[in-house]
Amino acid sequence: MSEITRRLMTRRQMLKLSAAASAAAMIGPATGLFSGRAAAAPGQAGAVKSVFSACDMCFNKCGLIARVQQGVVTKLDPNPRYLKSRGMLCARGNAGIGQLYDPNRLKYPLLRAGERGQGKWQRLSWDQALDLAAEKLQAIAEKYTRCGVLFMAGTDTQSTFVHRFAEVFGSYNVISHESNCLISRNRAYLDTFGAMPIPDTLNCKYILMAGANRFEALVTPDSMDIVTAMHAGAKLVVLDPRYTKTAALANEWYPIKPGTDLAFFLAMAHVLVNEELYHKKFVAERTSGFDQLAAHVQKYTPEWAAAECDIKAVDIRRITREMAAAKPAAMVYPGRRTSDYENSTQIRRAMAIVNALLGNWDQKGGLTLPRQIKTGHIGYDAPFYDDNPEDRVDAGRAQMMFSEEGSFKYTRDAVIEGKPYPIKGWFTYKTNPMQTGANRAKTVEMINQLDFMITVDINLSDTAWMADLVLPAPTSLEREDPVSSFQGSSACSGMVMRNPAVSPMFESRPVFWIVKQLARRLKLGEFFDFTMADFRQAQLKKIPEVAAALAKEGVYNDTRPSWGVHQGKDFRTPSKKVELYVGRYLKHGVDPLPVYHPRQEVPEGKFRIVVGRNAYISQSASTNNALLCEIQDDNCLWIHPRPAAKLAIGPGDLVEVASPAGTQKLKARVTEEIRPDTVYMDTGYGVISKGLRNIYGKGACIAAVLEDRADRVTGNMAMHETLVSVTKVADSAAAATCPKR
Amino acid sequence: MNKSRKQRLAMVIDTSKCFDCKACMVACKVENRVPKGFWRNWVRNDGVGDRRRTQYQPGQCMQCAEPSCVAACPVGATYPLDNGLVVIDPKMCIGCGNCVTACPYGARYRDPATHLADKCDFCRHRLARGQEPACVETCPTKARVFGDMNDPDSEVSKLAKQKKLVRIHAPQVETKPYIFYLAGTDLLDWARTPVLPGNVHMPPGFWKQG
Repeated sequence: MSEITRRLMTRRQMLKLSAAASAAAMIGPATGLFSGRAAAAPGQAGAVKSVFSACDMCFNKCGLIARVQQGVVTKLDPNPRYLKSRGMLCARGNAGIGQLYDPNRLKYPLLRAGERGQGKWQRLSWDQALDLAAEKLQAIAEKYTRCGVLFMAGTDTQSTFVHRFAEVFGSYNVISHESNCLISRNRAYLDTFGAMPIPDTLNCKYILMAGANRFEALVTPDSMDIVTAMHAGAKLVVLDPRYTKTAALANEWYPIKPGTDLAFFLAMAHVLVNEELYHKKFVAERTSGFDQLAAHVQKYTPEWAAAECDIKAVDIRRITREMAAAKPAAMVYPGRRTSDYENSTQIRRAMAIVNALLGNWDQKGGLTLPRQIKTGHIGYDAPFYDDNPEDRVDAGRAQMMFSEEGSFKYTRDAVIEGKPYPIKGWFTYKTNPMQTGANRAKTVEMINQLDFMITVDINLSDTAWMADLVLPAPTSLEREDPVSSFQGSSACSGMVMRNPAVSPMFESRPVFWIVKQLARRLKLGEFFDFTMADFRQAQLKKIPEVAAALAKEGVYNDTRPSWGVHQGKDFRTPSKKVELYVGRYLKHGVDPLPVYHPRQEVPEGKFRIVVGRNAYISQSASTNNALLCEIQDDNCLWIHPRPAAKLAIGPGDLVEVASPAGTQKLKARVTEEIRPDTVYMDTGYGVISKGLRNIYGKGACIAAVLEDRADRVTGNMAMHETLVSVTKVADSAAAATCPKR
Repeated sequence: MNKSRKQRLAMVIDTSKCFDCKACMVACKVENRVPKGFWRNWVRNDGVGDRRRTQYQPGQCMQCAEPSCVAACPVGATYPLDNGLVVIDPKMCIGCGNCVTACPYGARYRDPATHLADKCDFCRHRLARGQEPACVETCPTKARVFGDMNDPDSEVSKLAKQKKLVRIHAPQVETKPYIFYLAGTDLLDWARTPVLPGNVHMPPGFWKQG
């Protein structure tokens, strides 16, 4: 039995027990608890209505107060009571209003009327759209089993309803955005510590950041806390092939050779072990496998690593000694997006091992245990469909995949191959794999295998552009959402809830309503026999203090201490200790200690292309936002002046970037802010959708040139394994046309 | 803020806290409905340089005590309030553009629709509601500190007492800006000499007639 089937079984058993409680919750009265009106700020009595919500421009869910005048949202202010975001709202958050009032928004259901991707649409009524969607889903289920429909929902507080719908509809094939992002990090830390730790950057004295860019890829409150910590004397050391803004503000920046981070961290472990600088008490009492680790790292000397990483041995030793002196308030920052290399899990394992040697677990300024407040729920007993296949379509393609997340890369491969069984339907919600999944041509090929594709989104994204049926969703400012929890680093954990600042515009409908309507048409209505108010009531039934805080301040902050809470408690690993050596990896064919395999030099005339972020774009979700387009409405290729000179490429010249996956053209940004062997472009441009009018025809799509390699352990996309060639196509019309940084 | 005493509104900016997220710029743009292509505030940087570190320096109208823009206005449409804010009366502005070139900081623009001068006024309408300027409130690291320099208990006064502050001066003409920076900010010499449209330089005395 697969892990997912087991999960379903246990859930079914569990739900029988909780059925009574659920039923009680479902019939509970809808009270005025959720009116969501914040008190008017001083001086604005009457004129301005204030509504608590949480930002949806990226995954962070920062607290905001929407100011509404005469039914129009005029401004989004940060909610100062919200300890995760501490009264901040970034450029994208402030531009949330641009998403709400975007004239390019999807306004009503659209049915493809021409060839796929041709952009010819026919307007449907909601009844027509839902009848058609239900009919197509039913037809695919009958012909190919229910697992013949794939579901993919982005990071959104209503995605839970898409997952619920998938489960009662009967498909195991549910994927999220996460396998294009961070599952290899999760794997590494879960297998080492038994939990995905939360870094207490605020109290940290020494932060080593590799594979993360916290002053551009903003995470609240870490981005703020690192600045505060640095003002209190903390040191920030950044390893990055690009001169990111994090590198620009760091105490030290090392332009590491891409893909060699594992060598750096193994050398750190070597120094910590051989110079006996590790946290002896913690290692002795709380870890397992130290002897194997000590033997394993002997060959990984700093001198050896220096040649791999392009970082001097003397610096590797010094950084390690400095961190050891600052321990336990010293950390290798765990980061988020780790969809970089085929060994990305092992890279993060090495980082986790260094953290363990520093003894920073459960310590002030170290890695802390995540704390989540448990909410109630409206349970369900998902039906069992006898004819379904045994397992997920991507099962077995990676060594240790998370079955609840799956792998976009391997699912796409399976759909293209039609093996082990065909998938002919795809339901996507607020996720845009056409822009975020490496190898766009393959995503197109996958979609071409489908009988019917349904996309629910706010804009006509590139993914929506390829769909058969496009359904318009409201923005978060128009939505009533479930209560959702957040982790605010060491400051707090908490809960937040969205209330509509304005009514849904045009004919947009929340995905909760959409799946509810589909369920009714597919005779699955009993599983959605509740309203959002019912759902929230069930969530908050046993935590009235949360309900009260949400009504009063728009947020509930749990400020209990976040460190010193795990003393004497077991780790959730087989050995009940921190596993420096992961014995159970052996049976999956995974190295129990990270082994370094030398990286092939980038050949002359080629470049490694890397993925990254700036603070104005959330991958592809915000690039068409009119307010953010005023900062940047185009991307360009970062290339170092030395290779640029050899290729006769000047600033603003049009260049072609080519890989086995595809070719794109964009302007060059000749800059010393990147290594000579590496090139970079922002994600989210070079769109195919003409519905993204502000950016259509501008820049290039990085997903179109990235090859789709995968992390061997998890199946996380490996986006830094592509080598590209760069050639000049045309001189710049105007030299200064490339967006400023 | 102490209402019985005359206010002097000011900002103290800690450049070392800014990571150039541009939240302040978009917050201002939305709050003040700044037209497309124009900004009332900015984040400058000092490039990469040899040190391999970059500084980001936020700024906006400096609410000068001796504002060259006020001196340049032929009709008295722009003037300082008692609290130090330099404001524009759109009913009086004739859209001549003198104040735009007269500002050493490039803080003014002419609205493309109304052709009238516009600029930052520390979100005067928000101050009236008891809120801080939008750029101050939204900043992740609170790099901008706003307050009354005449109130000894205000954050800006305390910073003025405790820390060394610097100003960004215009060459040749001292306008006495009321945005202060914590010493250590690198970008100090970017302000330009006030001129009238057509690059017309005026004798120093001209700029003191405000």
